[in-house]
Amino acid sequence: MIIEIGHFALVLALAVALILSVVPLIGAARRDSAMMALAPAGSLVLFALVAFSFGVLTWAYVVSDFSVKNVWENSHSMMPLLYKYTGVWGNHEGSMLLWLLIVVLFSALVVMFGKNLPETLKSNVLAVQAWIASAFLFFILLTSNPFLRLNPAPAEGQDLNPILQDFGLAIHPPLLYLGYVGFSVCFSFAVAALIEGRIDAAWARWVRPWTLAAWTFLTAGIAMGSYWAYYELGWGGWWFWDPVENASFMPWLAGTALLHSALVMEKREALKIWTVLLAIMTFSLSLLGTFLVRSGVLTSVHAFATDPSRGIFILGILTLFIGGAFMLFAWRAPRLKSGGLFQPISREGALVLNNLILTVCCATVLTGTLYPLVLETMTGEKISVGAPFFNLTFGLLMVPLLLAVPFGPLLAWKRADLMGAMQRLYAVIGFAFVAGLVLYYIENGGPVMAAAGLAMACYLMLGALADLWYRANFGKLAFNVAWRRLIGLPRSAFGTALAHFGLGVTVLGIIIVSTYETETVLEMKQGATAEAGGYSLVFDGMRHAAGPNYTDDQGHFTISKDGVVVADTWSSKRLYTARRMPTTEAGIVTFWFSQLYVSLGDAMTDGGMVVRIWWKPFILCIWGGCLIMMLGGFVSLSDRRLRVGAPSRKAKVAKPVTPVMEPAE
Amino acid sequence: MLLWIIFACLTAAVAALLILPLARGAEPVADSAEGEAAVYRDQLRELERDKGLGLIGDEEAEYARAEIGRRLIATADKDANAAASPARRRASLVVLAVTVFVPAVGLCLYLALGSPWLPAQPLAARLENPGNNLDLLVAKAERHLALNPNDGSGWDLLAPIYFRTQRMGDAEMAYRNAIRLIGENPERLSGLGETLVAASGGIVTEDARSAFEAAAKLSPQDARVRFYLALALEQAGKNDEARVAFEALAKDAPRGAPWAALVNEHIAKVGGTVIPQLDNNDEAVAAIQSMGADDQQAAIRGMVEALATRMSQEPNNIAGWMQLVRSYAVLGDRQKAGEALANGLKTFPPSSNEGGQLVALGREIGIEAQNTAGEGAKP
Amino acid sequence: MTRKQKRLAVIAGGVGFIMAAVLLVMFAFSQSVAYFFMPGDLKTAQISPGTRIRLGGLVEEGSVKRGNGSTVSFVVTDGENTVPVSYTGILPDLFREGQGVVTEGAFDTSHAFVADSVLAKHDENYMPKEVADRLKKDGVWEDGSGKGMAAPKEKSSQEQPAKVETTGATKP
Repeated sequence: MIIEIGHFALVLALAVALILSVVPLIGAARRDSAMMALAPAGSLVLFALVAFSFGVLTWAYVVSDFSVKNVWENSHSMMPLLYKYTGVWGNHEGSMLLWLLIVVLFSALVVMFGKNLPETLKSNVLAVQAWIASAFLFFILLTSNPFLRLNPAPAEGQDLNPILQDFGLAIHPPLLYLGYVGFSVCFSFAVAALIEGRIDAAWARWVRPWTLAAWTFLTAGIAMGSYWAYYELGWGGWWFWDPVENASFMPWLAGTALLHSALVMEKREALKIWTVLLAIMTFSLSLLGTFLVRSGVLTSVHAFATDPSRGIFILGILTLFIGGAFMLFAWRAPRLKSGGLFQPISREGALVLNNLILTVCCATVLTGTLYPLVLETMTGEKISVGAPFFNLTFGLLMVPLLLAVPFGPLLAWKRADLMGAMQRLYAVIGFAFVAGLVLYYIENGGPVMAAAGLAMACYLMLGALADLWYRANFGKLAFNVAWRRLIGLPRSAFGTALAHFGLGVTVLGIIIVSTYETETVLEMKQGATAEAGGYSLVFDGMRHAAGPNYTDDQGHFTISKDGVVVADTWSSKRLYTARRMPTTEAGIVTFWFSQLYVSLGDAMTDGGMVVRIWWKPFILCIWGGCLIMMLGGFVSLSDRRLRVGAPSRKAKVAKPVTPVMEPAE
Repeated sequence: MLLWIIFACLTAAVAALLILPLARGAEPVADSAEGEAAVYRDQLRELERDKGLGLIGDEEAEYARAEIGRRLIATADKDANAAASPARRRASLVVLAVTVFVPAVGLCLYLALGSPWLPAQPLAARLENPGNNLDLLVAKAERHLALNPNDGSGWDLLAPIYFRTQRMGDAEMAYRNAIRLIGENPERLSGLGETLVAASGGIVTEDARSAFEAAAKLSPQDARVRFYLALALEQAGKNDEARVAFEALAKDAPRGAPWAALVNEHIAKVGGTVIPQLDNNDEAVAAIQSMGADDQQAAIRGMVEALATRMSQEPNNIAGWMQLVRSYAVLGDRQKAGEALANGLKTFPPSSNEGGQLVALGREIGIEAQNTAGEGAKP
Repeated sequence: MTRKQKRLAVIAGGVGFIMAAVLLVMFAFSQSVAYFFMPGDLKTAQISPGTRIRLGGLVEEGSVKRGNGSTVSFVVTDGENTVPVSYTGILPDLFREGQGVVTEGAFDTSHAFVADSVLAKHDENYMPKEVADRLKKDGVWEDGSGKGMAAPKEKSSQEQPAKVETTGATKP
């Protein structure tokens, strides 16, 4: 019975979402407070209904109710409990429900944190969120309903895809969706502003925390997905430029641009139209990503069983929202007044450069991802655009941006002195150059370009620190005073520095891994030795083991350096019995930031095993940098300025509306 | 009934929560620019702080102040323009819409999509009370074994069930576990062998052969083991040795052994001559044996046709179907054998226990189910 | 510089960057895009040794042979035409005879195809999309049918062996 109540709640949610899509809009247009008051109440009800329905599905998974088709298809009574929870979104229907849950969660958060928003803006934002929710509710109920039943119920489920039976599934999709879908709030704000026909610096201030939150989650989600693919798939790669990876990376690039342009808009009321456009584009790219993943139009590692009717439905949603938003934009944007002026060399100028490069990079990735599709539709020719394309274009285009990153925060608003900033960075550039050379020497060998790359990574990291150093004015003031100034800096300054530092760490990892990693494929018999990264590995032989729902052929390796045993690892080939599906479980040994990665191939007839060994120097920096970026996002988010948009009601009454300080004009 | 009451309550609660803010009536809209003004005042305070810390220059601060001040004044202008138009009538229209729309959409869509008659069926509760459902009994045993993976007799019990339900991977694991935990015996070893053979589509693989050989050491007279060892010889192309083994097996076969026909068929395949056994009718067999070759064939055909007629009248007899399929195969009429297999499967679907046996038989003798002209199952 | 000149310079810089990006993209496309072929296409297409292509099809039953060390050779087929492929490295988990496969690499001077990557997929029923499209068109393969392909998901793990399945006689 409870299952059916969950199903009914989802249907009711659609009814509520449809009402929410219309009534608050009319209310806002007519300034009818009763109708506008429906928006917050309705959004909370909507969230409660969807959350309940999601809870019911989760319950069905936990108790293995195989009368629910979705549970039967993707669960197994003997799966560990964690995977029963995570299995809820380890399939198409459940993941769409999670998507929806996060949309309505963000609506509810807007209600909770949006006390300072003007009533009309809030109503419009919530109404636009409800449009998105309605579209996806229709999609779920009509094409991907997770509450369809089976009668009679089977006794055992078909098990979750073994690749997904991993802790990664617990983290990666929710984080990624929090990021993806979080940009829906920015989209809603942009569309709401266009509907109202006015937009100003305050708007940017309200949008920024949502952008920042979504960006932070998306960063974490992408990094987590990358690490998961790295250790689970056994190919030793951490980024494949796979269409689905690109699909999550493009909103990240656009979102990063949005984060920076909203800053300009908040401070200077400039770049209004551009910021609104970016907000729309970012979420459009999220929708495009959903479409690419869910429709199966692209060859991809994420292409699980797909169904064309779903693809067409999502394509419809995509066209409706993107097309509608852009039409609204074309209609309304000319009315928006442009804001403050600035010189090319200024903080604004640097942020415009950031936006230019990020959008161009994003467009490049989009081109590379969609070109094969377009070409196939136009000419029928099938091509594949792989990593070489993206490495060449994206890699080169990002270089100027990376060079500019440390300059940006050092430049003043409106009009700045480039030479001054340059002088401040002299030391940084010098240090970075030396550090690059030293690292190059330590890791000796490899192309000369690597030294430049390493220097750039050091330059990014040191530049981020230099930003804090100069803000606190160390060097000119006494240490104590400067220290106090440092402590007193707004959190967002630390957030910026952390994020830029993290970027440097990631770049460092990427450059070292891609130039210095070694890969050996060889056949090993028991007792054979192989060398990698200065360590020697001895293959001690195989053993057979059984897990709860799989059997395992495990190879044992002892790792020693200079004759001293330092570590050992098991690497295995696993066979999941329910689906007869083999997976590779790589043996990974971490030394500081570097890793040895051992994966097993096929057994040879003469008793040997094919073994593939990678030495991955500094690979952990790639994800470590992302974690630091994420941390920067959270630190910024905790800045009181983003939380305190307005004083409480009481304070409002106390303060007259007239400006406290007459501006000097 | 309870379900519908809950649905009604839920719908009512949702509608009420939506109507509540509407019913409170229209108040004039609070000054909409208040939030913006607050943001700008906050920006001004921030500016002062930054200036105090010396983070920005005086001149720069002055510019910024001027800008923020301008925005602040703009909000004050907006306030003056904002005016609310309360409208009672409109609100009540919306109330009406909500009260009608929510239940209507909810009910219509749910009736189209839901299955209100189905209760929730958590596995644990179903396992408590499995009744006669074999699948559930198996699942129950599986859970027991997941908790006590060292219960060898449990694995031993489950293995043949897996085999019969065509879950060869599980059957293999169960047999191997049973052998590992409570040791080898002919049943387990030959069961394992048979599982491996079925899993590889009727081929006696190296693994399977060694299992049978181990079984043969423990129980040299076991017919099943001998059969598969002979089959291995046949598949290896050693027809003579295979024939000797099959013939020896046929000689030792007790009268009416259900597998005798199968053995005979293999003897025929490797070049020997056989007399098929039909039913358990010794006299008929003896009579046939005394006939000439042509008569023999005709008589056997007659008996098989009689069996076929009987089966079409009383299809609910699995042993009969198995015999019929075998007999046709022995007579070399693959078409008819396929038809018989398909017809048998109509009565016993492949997912059932008996159907599983039929499917296994078909696979064993390389017969595929065939549609009979006209009366085949619908596609 | 006057304000106008400055603005012009900024716009020129921006447009220049975008132009550079467009040229770079076009250059990269000409360099690193691999065209997709099935064995049948290779009769008509002239592919010079060293040109990177993607070759898709089915792995022919019984064609997988292990050579020295980790070198594997197999034959890719589309039902009629075949191309022998050699590959050094670890094959993906789901590489099986009779299954769809996409390999990337080039022909060497002796017209043997040397692959440097073999695509692996997450799902046991996975058929690379390009391959599936073509085989469907040629009528060699259809969703969920036999032909040595993995059985469709609903059936792969339970009961019903493929043989009986294909005839349709037993379906309700």
